[in-house]
Amino acid sequence: MNVILSWAVLIILMYAAQTSLLPYIGYNGVSANLMLLLTVSTAFLRGYRHGVLMGLITGILQDFTTGSFFGCSIFSYMLIGLFFGKFSDRIFKEQLLFPVLSAPLAAAMYFFIVTGLLFLIGYKIDFLHMIHTILQPLIIYQVAFSWIVHKIAYDFHKLTVKHGIFRS
Amino acid sequence: MKPRQELKGIKPRSRKDKNQNSNKTAAIIFVLAFVFLSIFIVAKTNTQVPAASKTMMFFLSPFQKSFSWVGGGVSDLKDSVEGIENLQEETTRLRAEVEKLRAENLNASEALSENQRLRALLGYKQNATQFDLIAASIVGRDSVTWSSVVTINRGTLDGVADNMAVVTELGLVGHVVEAGLNTSKVQLILDPRSSVGTLIQRPESRVAGIVEGDINNPNAPKMVNIPKDADVKVDDMIVTSGFGGIYPKGVIVGKIKEIHNDEGGLLKHGIVATTVNFEKLEDVAVIVNSRETPPEPLPPVLQTAGTELDAEEVAKQLEHSKIIQQEVRDSVKQAQQLQLEQAQKSGGGTAN
Repeated sequence: MNVILSWAVLIILMYAAQTSLLPYIGYNGVSANLMLLLTVSTAFLRGYRHGVLMGLITGILQDFTTGSFFGCSIFSYMLIGLFFGKFSDRIFKEQLLFPVLSAPLAAAMYFFIVTGLLFLIGYKIDFLHMIHTILQPLIIYQVAFSWIVHKIAYDFHKLTVKHGIFRS
Repeated sequence: MKPRQELKGIKPRSRKDKNQNSNKTAAIIFVLAFVFLSIFIVAKTNTQVPAASKTMMFFLSPFQKSFSWVGGGVSDLKDSVEGIENLQEETTRLRAEVEKLRAENLNASEALSENQRLRALLGYKQNATQFDLIAASIVGRDSVTWSSVVTINRGTLDGVADNMAVVTELGLVGHVVEAGLNTSKVQLILDPRSSVGTLIQRPESRVAGIVEGDINNPNAPKMVNIPKDADVKVDDMIVTSGFGGIYPKGVIVGKIKEIHNDEGGLLKHGIVATTVNFEKLEDVAVIVNSRETPPEPLPPVLQTAGTELDAEEVAKQLEHSKIIQQEVRDSVKQAQQLQLEQAQKSGGGTAN
């Protein structure tokens, strides 16, 4: 129970940092998306089911509290958790380089899923312009924060396994 | 004979395991499909789930306020470092600006005295602003710019409600889309879902249009629906028109930066440079009550640190003008009272 509570506190703290602290060091309104990084790390460490679950939780948190386009974060995070979770049993859990290298790919997937959804809703999207103004800075921020987020997620994963809450 | 998996030392999966796996996969597909459909339904119907949203905002707000406080310190530190770096350049620029402001203040004083005279002449009873404001700080914002919604540290407990306009001393910020108990979501005028009824402030123009957010250029909204032959020029100031019921009339939105023709050929649109710097937005004010439509304010005179002497003079002049306005208001009240009494006398009390 304590471990689940710890995960809940971790998610809330990371989300509060993402929405209230990181915008101060943002560029042109774009800053690091810790929820996306946490979803990817969880998917790598615990497999696609936990990746999807983490995507669902972080997406719900983000979509309900920011007032953005409802469902876009939930849908994109779940798909990203599903995709990266498929590689869970093919990498060493102690390996920190792979999650860092996957951060740009996850950011690109998030960008194209959300802009694709907005396009389907009916907004005229200038993809090239948005790649320049949103995706490029987002990738830089994601790479910069990926190591620390994965390290935290890995420590929590070890704690979870140690307490026998989930199978390793 | 044992199955091949057992020979390899792998425990074969039972039918129960397979069923559980297929059930979990089906659940994931179902949730994904449900969320995918919800995106379009919510976008079309603008549905909200206030109870869930407000509950989450309530529990998150202490964390957000704490991080925002830390972030404010970080921001101040960053600004200080940047300030030192730019000190030399800033001093030169400020000297030039002081000279320019002195000239502008002379014009402003002239406009102020003309304004007083005209008000006295017309018996105009309105004050410069008629708003009840609540100060608020921004404690949260989204990490990317698909949308422009921020969270402020005031909610229904402070008197904030849905659809209240949010401003700064520089101009319009947006409106409250969802008021929680102790925090509220504010949709900025940069959001692609936002639309504000506006007017060109220039007296000979007064062209109406709608300022809406541009998803491709989140820092510069567009003024759309302007007829092609309308009198709109670059650098024209834009103010709210008061239509629509959310935004009071006369709040400054920004100025026209560029004008482009629409593809259809009948309309054009202007790119708006907002007077509010949304990237550095930290403190705002919520208009909780607008008693009556105020007159359109003069365009703001840009003023920065280093011009304190001139600011004192302007403050004195404004104080003086406030006294005159109060006197005018009293005399108007007296005149109205007299008229009422006369009407009662002549109409046999029907004026009640």
